[in-house]
Amino acid sequence: MSAQICYEDVHEGMELPAMVKNASRAQLFLYSAATWNPHRIHYDKDYAATEGHPDVLVHGPLQGAWLSQYVTSWAGPRGRMLNLSWQNRRSGLPERDLTFRGRVTRVSRGGGRGVVDLEVWEEDPDGNVLMPGTARVSLPLKG
Amino acid sequence: MAEETGGLIPPETLAMVGELLGEPVSAEITAKEAQRYAQAVGDLDPIYFDEAAAKAAGYRGLVAPPTFVSHVVVQGQPLDRLREDGLFRTGARAMPLRVRRSMFGGEEWDFLEPACVGDTITAESRLKAIEEKQGGSGAFVLTTRETTYTNRRGEVVARARQIGIAR
Repeated sequence: MSAQICYEDVHEGMELPAMVKNASRAQLFLYSAATWNPHRIHYDKDYAATEGHPDVLVHGPLQGAWLSQYVTSWAGPRGRMLNLSWQNRRSGLPERDLTFRGRVTRVSRGGGRGVVDLEVWEEDPDGNVLMPGTARVSLPLKG
Repeated sequence: MAEETGGLIPPETLAMVGELLGEPVSAEITAKEAQRYAQAVGDLDPIYFDEAAAKAAGYRGLVAPPTFVSHVVVQGQPLDRLREDGLFRTGARAMPLRVRRSMFGGEEWDFLEPACVGDTITAESRLKAIEEKQGGSGAFVLTTRETTYTNRRGEVVARARQIGIAR
């Protein structure tokens, strides 16, 4: 099991390590299948062009699931994600690096646990923010 | 304001605020479906695949990825219900708007209880809010649809607010 981050390890302004995703077309296809999502913009490039898109698009909820993974993997096995929100601001495209970043905006203690607020976002290779978001996690205390 | 006639929101749509947007839907979380989903996302957290790891992390058993509850309740439909854009014609209640295009704006999730393999989840969606706004490129409509996910023990597992933008 991965090392557990604790409340005492965290401070305001601390940056989270980045996570990079790069979706193949096969991954988009499998995500469509696993979620029973037949939307054509995710598998048919010619059709996506008729809606003005340069390529097939990464599903909005898949990017949301990545953001969830980014937060829960940072929070560790005994961490708990309490809230997660995001805005789908720009479309994500396959076969390019999409980088997830975040920083701690607030820390507090209560009920024998720590509560940590995060600012999190996803950006494309040009540094455009595709999906800004926020999260709140509960972390264990040391000892 | 949204109440004005001639705006983007017809009065009958405005009157739907607070109402159910379809029948509640229930589905059981199976290990196979939850794990296929986690694999498709590329999230191989052991708590989704290894019961001992899930228990060591304080869960009752294998866990489903947090937002999987929104997918497990999606019901299969026959292929002849596919539209030109690939989406299914749904039985969801129509929400008429005087707009040309709808976009997915984002989501806000509250996670209250873990969703575990073997749980049966019931989803109930309501129109939480609808508002006409003015932006740089003209008027648009913001819709907030709130879905509550409940388990068989009557615990609310999660609440999701989906924001839609239409113009």
